[in-house]
Amino acid sequence: MSTPLRMSFEVACPVEHAFSVWTAEISTWWPPDHTVTGRRDLAVVLQSGVGGRIYERTPEGVEHDWGEVTVWSPPTRLAYSWHIGRDRADATEVEIRFLAQGDGATRVEIEHRGWERLGRDADDRRQQNLAGWQALGPHFQAATQRGGR
Amino acid sequence: MTRARASGDPVEALGDPNRREILRLLSAGDKPVREIAAAMPISRPAVSRHLRLLKDAGMVAERPQGTRRIYHLQEQGLHAVAAYLEGIWGDAAARFRLLAENTE
Repeated sequence: MSTPLRMSFEVACPVEHAFSVWTAEISTWWPPDHTVTGRRDLAVVLQSGVGGRIYERTPEGVEHDWGEVTVWSPPTRLAYSWHIGRDRADATEVEIRFLAQGDGATRVEIEHRGWERLGRDADDRRQQNLAGWQALGPHFQAATQRGGR
Repeated sequence: MTRARASGDPVEALGDPNRREILRLLSAGDKPVREIAAAMPISRPAVSRHLRLLKDAGMVAERPQGTRRIYHLQEQGLHAVAAYLEGIWGDAAARFRLLAENTE
């Protein structure tokens, strides 16, 4: 159940720029379909540094938290907790690595992990991964194997 | 075997303790709504709502048996979770790339 979803791709720009676009410029590219309110006129903020908040803000000033920065190592590594549209207790974890490719390009590796936390009950964290998850786990693992392309 | 079309958000489907309890109950065997509701502290209409959401997310499916509807875990239910996430990160990656490559 805890197999991470992995995805990577190359982008034709230096690592410094890639890191900066991913963080400071997130509002310019994060897909509006994948936000809490789904609005096209909202701002997305990823605050720099460990503990930085990640959230969306509507023009009216309503904010929805998505997560919090847990690793801040510019320009190569970044990680944050991620609970967009869900309870903070159900946060998963996202790690992004920016790897210089020598020709001025950057390889971006995304790892989204911590699914086992979704199997816990918020009101009883010790009683985790019940029989249902044990039954479903293999299916999930098989599915996530396809993620590493 | 064709995969059921999932319109809901499977991660949201998993984000609720009652829905996880329903999945746990179904993992022990297929059950009609009545039986699921009897094992849970919430009302039958509430159970039905959760089942609908799980069905939309591709996690469970139903089949008629006489006048009852029997629910079972969708064999590939959690594929929906991975597919959904790949969709999100795929969209994000494409848009990120466009921006990063066209700005300085």
